[in-house]
Amino acid sequence: MHTHEPHHAIHSPLTDPPQAVSVGAPRNTPHADDVRELERQVEYIVDDCFFTVGQVVGMRTTVDYDAVIWWRDHYRAKFLAAMQAFGNRWTQDRSNVTSVAIMLAERAVRYSDGKPSIDCEAARKAAADVERYCELHARRAARAMGLSAPDDAPARIAGYWCNYEYPDTQGGG
Amino acid sequence: MTPAQEVDYVLNDCFFAVGQAVGTHKSLDFDAIQWWRARYRAFFLHAMTVTGNSWLRDRHRVTAVGRFLGQRALHYAADRPSIDLRCAALASDDVETGCRMNAEREGVAPERLSAE
Repeated sequence: MHTHEPHHAIHSPLTDPPQAVSVGAPRNTPHADDVRELERQVEYIVDDCFFTVGQVVGMRTTVDYDAVIWWRDHYRAKFLAAMQAFGNRWTQDRSNVTSVAIMLAERAVRYSDGKPSIDCEAARKAAADVERYCELHARRAARAMGLSAPDDAPARIAGYWCNYEYPDTQGGG
Repeated sequence: MTPAQEVDYVLNDCFFAVGQAVGTHKSLDFDAIQWWRARYRAFFLHAMTVTGNSWLRDRHRVTAVGRFLGQRALHYAADRPSIDLRCAALASDDVETGCRMNAEREGVAPERLSAE
């Protein structure tokens, strides 16, 4: 089953208004069974993103295990929060999110310049850059669509996977 | 960290390595990701819990095998735009055959009967 565009089609915009509009408002607190299922599904999604980052890094350098741990902890929490709020939209959002992973990889390679591998510091800096970019892009896209209500904002960005914080974890990610 | 917790980090590490070898010319079908995860999570967890393998000690060797897996998958995908489940399974078969032969040569796995 071919579910998405090839990864090398990296020039797609990060925001896709028709998909984003269909996200809708955050859902109510999910049931325990739903959470367990989302916890299972989020693992595939994190794997998919690591694969993409590896594709882009290629044989230019390698990654420290500390950096793998940091990225996984960071994005698994964010992805799970987004999925608990909006459901699993991976099939629709995969192409956009992996495009962001491409940017993450390029930034990490740049920050590891002169080092033997991508270390935890480079991984963190790259993640901060990408999330800043996603946030700015989302705000701009929301403004362009005439949507500025703060409650609706997370639902209208394709990059919500890495920006959404569950209300009780604000500031923790 | 218990093996059950660590195995997910290990799998992420390996997916990164597979991606390195595949490069940006082909994508990977999502069901191939699911298949690889299920398969290697079980293998790795067994290695870590039953055999007491340490990821930090074995990481270099296993990620190299991960890159080999990516190369074989790329080979089987030939001119297709993506690596599908069939290519993933064929690549796994190649890699696991190689690993078994290696283990037998190094005396860490019993030699299999010729009928197997």
